[in-house]
Amino acid sequence: MQYLSGIDDHRTSTGLDNRKMLMWAFLGSDVMFFGTLIGTHLIYRNRNLSGPQEEILSIPITTISTFVLLMSSLAMVLALAGIQRGNMGQFRFWTAIVCIFGSIFIGFQMFEFTEFAAHYGLTPRTNLFGSTFLVMTGFHGTHVAVGILWLWSILFASYKGKIHQGNSLQVEIAGLYWHFVDIVWIVIFGVVYLIGAYGAEGRALEDAHHAARAVGIG
Amino acid sequence: MTTEHAHVEEHNHPGPRQYVIIGAILAVITLIEFGVFYLSIDPALMTWIILILSSSKFLLVVGYFMHLKFDDVRFSGLFFAPFLIMVSIAVVLMALFFNLTR
Amino acid sequence: MAANIGILKRPVSTDGVWGWITTVDHKRIGILYGVSAFIFFLVGGIEALLMRVQLAQPDSTFVDAGTFNALFTMHGTTMVFMVVMPAGAAFFNFLVPLMIGARDVAFPRLNALSYWLFIFGAILMNFSFFKAAFPDVGWFGYAPLTTSEYTLSSSTDYWVLGLQIMGVGTTAAGFNFVITILNMRAPGMTLMRMPLFPWMTLIVSFLIIFAFPPLTIALTLLLFDRFFGTNFFDTAGAGADPLLWQHLFWIFGHPEVYILILPAMGIVSDVLPTFSRKPLFGYTTVVFAGAVIAFLGFGVWAHHMFTTGLGAWATAAFAGATMAIGVPTGVKVFNWLATLWGGSIQFKTPLLFALGFISMFMLGGLSGVMHAAVPVDTQQQDTYFIVAHFHYVLFGGSIFGLTAGIYYWFPKMTGRMLSERIGKWHFWLMFIGFNATFMPMHILGVLGMPRRVYTYSVDQNWAGLNLFVSVGAFIIAVSILLLIINIVRSARKGEAAGMNPWAGATLEWAIPSPPPHYNFAVIPTVRSQHPLWDEEANAVEPPPLPAHGEPHMPDPSYWPIVVAFGITMVAGGLLIWQANTWLGLFVIAVSGFIGMRGIYGWVFEPVAEESAERVHAHH
Repeated sequence: MQYLSGIDDHRTSTGLDNRKMLMWAFLGSDVMFFGTLIGTHLIYRNRNLSGPQEEILSIPITTISTFVLLMSSLAMVLALAGIQRGNMGQFRFWTAIVCIFGSIFIGFQMFEFTEFAAHYGLTPRTNLFGSTFLVMTGFHGTHVAVGILWLWSILFASYKGKIHQGNSLQVEIAGLYWHFVDIVWIVIFGVVYLIGAYGAEGRALEDAHHAARAVGIG
Repeated sequence: MTTEHAHVEEHNHPGPRQYVIIGAILAVITLIEFGVFYLSIDPALMTWIILILSSSKFLLVVGYFMHLKFDDVRFSGLFFAPFLIMVSIAVVLMALFFNLTR
Repeated sequence: MAANIGILKRPVSTDGVWGWITTVDHKRIGILYGVSAFIFFLVGGIEALLMRVQLAQPDSTFVDAGTFNALFTMHGTTMVFMVVMPAGAAFFNFLVPLMIGARDVAFPRLNALSYWLFIFGAILMNFSFFKAAFPDVGWFGYAPLTTSEYTLSSSTDYWVLGLQIMGVGTTAAGFNFVITILNMRAPGMTLMRMPLFPWMTLIVSFLIIFAFPPLTIALTLLLFDRFFGTNFFDTAGAGADPLLWQHLFWIFGHPEVYILILPAMGIVSDVLPTFSRKPLFGYTTVVFAGAVIAFLGFGVWAHHMFTTGLGAWATAAFAGATMAIGVPTGVKVFNWLATLWGGSIQFKTPLLFALGFISMFMLGGLSGVMHAAVPVDTQQQDTYFIVAHFHYVLFGGSIFGLTAGIYYWFPKMTGRMLSERIGKWHFWLMFIGFNATFMPMHILGVLGMPRRVYTYSVDQNWAGLNLFVSVGAFIIAVSILLLIINIVRSARKGEAAGMNPWAGATLEWAIPSPPPHYNFAVIPTVRSQHPLWDEEANAVEPPPLPAHGEPHMPDPSYWPIVVAFGITMVAGGLLIWQANTWLGLFVIAVSGFIGMRGIYGWVFEPVAEESAERVHAHH
């Protein structure tokens, strides 16, 4: 051991930025969070068939909202590419688009929830499907809302000069969060909506078990 | 510093053009998924098709939009280690709850 | 970053009570964690003693059944979440930056937030005593027992919310230490040159950030069931599965067991080499064994549920995985023994506790492997044999290991030595008392005494052993009294410790005791696993401060406690909401605003100088 002068004690051991690594660790942890929620929904599928089930999921409408969220992710990378090149106009335009598309997605979700309640009487209290589905997608919606608030704050801060090309890492980190929320939705759309609602009308419990057995996971 | 490091790496990063292409691919896959939903096929086959299509969307977003394909491999470790643990736990839970282990 | 948009000016003073409330110094936060954990240790210990008074005689009426339920619930919850985990966090905080050659953790304010969330959550849970009663649903809080259908008392709401808040704080600390250990090491301190304690801290932190989310979800679902009438655990009405909670809880709960034991293993792995005067035997193997234990820890949760009837295949698979986890644990034990083998051993108090750890943990580990055999487990389920087993790992393991850490690092923390004479009395009393308390519980378990019963009758023939156990518990209490006396006396007039009283090999011994607030005047450059042994000539004196003066450290901050207060009072508002809807909503809104305001204040808090946390923003 020795004491060398002039050591830059702000350099990280891995050369990776602390905050970016924090975000990736957080996302890893959030994987467990959403994994548990989605897993709980899946193991409760078809457990109690009283009340509305997956047949009420609207695939056309959700496909559109999924498309909106995917495009918001595209807007997010374009915003990041803008600020990394010092193009603040591009950054601000696309960040605003992300927030707007995110809000549209939330609007779709609110429409879905109110429709379920109004037409099918489905609330979190109705049955197991209501509890698992609404709490799971509700937590996802909360994540989207947090992301919108975060990105609005960043957009606002950029007008105050607090966000600029020099600290574009702030945008990159918020972007990682936003894309993560997007991939969680990709999983929910595939597993919960498409696979879940496939042939749902008139399907008996036996069929579900048969399918689960056939693919080995359900 | 880390930011300089990032500038060096930026040469092999995809640019806006590639991002738009990826976005288009994601849209097309979503459309295919939508179409598959209306086919009358074996539920097991349908399940596997959707799983494959959704995984490719997942990997495209993680790999390109989140830069994981071009970024430090340790970030991938931080993300995919818990991902694999969680998928395994979920599969085991489903096997247990659908009585596949008796 | 000149403009100050916060209401509160960033504090600069580190004096007095406000200095502690606004501190972001990892050493002070470590001491806060340690003192809090010790206070809760006394609380949890008194709860245990009350139970032992009740069980000392058959048909005792010292406490009634309900009180007894509350006692074992709070004893378990307190010891796991408010004692062993924060005691581990105390050592992480104080020592990890010193041992890896850093000036602070990666996110000093997040570190303060972790502590305040922990202490507020703990206070909230214990506050139930004044509003309703202590929670009485077991430390595992099995639903559907904990749903409002079966437990009306709001004490369970306090349990759920208190645990949730502590969990958030713990997870935040987990992130912090992952990043700190990966990113803040001194030059030359490669991962494979790190001492074992930071290594085990790294592994524990990974376990925390990946295992706590399932608990968070389980608690959230239970919260929704209790507050908003969802059906997750409503077995009678909605057809929910009574095993869902058990699965989610133990998916968290088994990694949690390693969260509790690995810090102690890290401490012992650093204490043994110092007092045998030779390097840890099989360093790489010990590190790797720790990682394997952590990884396998995610795949054994169902062994807590063998008697629920999982099916033959599942039971066999989980039994196999459970037995497999004994292998890396055994590897560690052999490495510790081989470290001692042929060393010039100095029987100082820290080593005594480390040896106590090895022997007692091994007994607990062996009875653990016994449960891995399903037929045996079926016999032992919910008997005192299980109580004996997990006290051998958690008390004989974690507490002995952490106590070794107290004796080993107290000189570094305070600059004074603990008394060796009292220390040896403490060790032998605790060792004898511990075995007198928990060894007979094995026999009681085999005789069929169930856990959690508040009394038993004379003709069950458990009276003699139970009296013996209760006497043992009071011997432990006396030994803890000796520890308190030792700490209070030595903190004031103990022998001065100097930089390196034990002739240790690791970096924390290269700086004064107690360390200055910036830790290292000059960041050391490391060239081996044992920097102070291999190049002792360089380590007699710390280098003088560089010409430009003291290194700049992060300023104190009000925001961590403000944010923690906001989060806790949102939970408080939920509790009020049950009794008074509008007042509850009002409290939730106000504290939600305080929390959000705190987060914005935190993000835009000005820094006078570059700090480790902020530096990248300037480049």
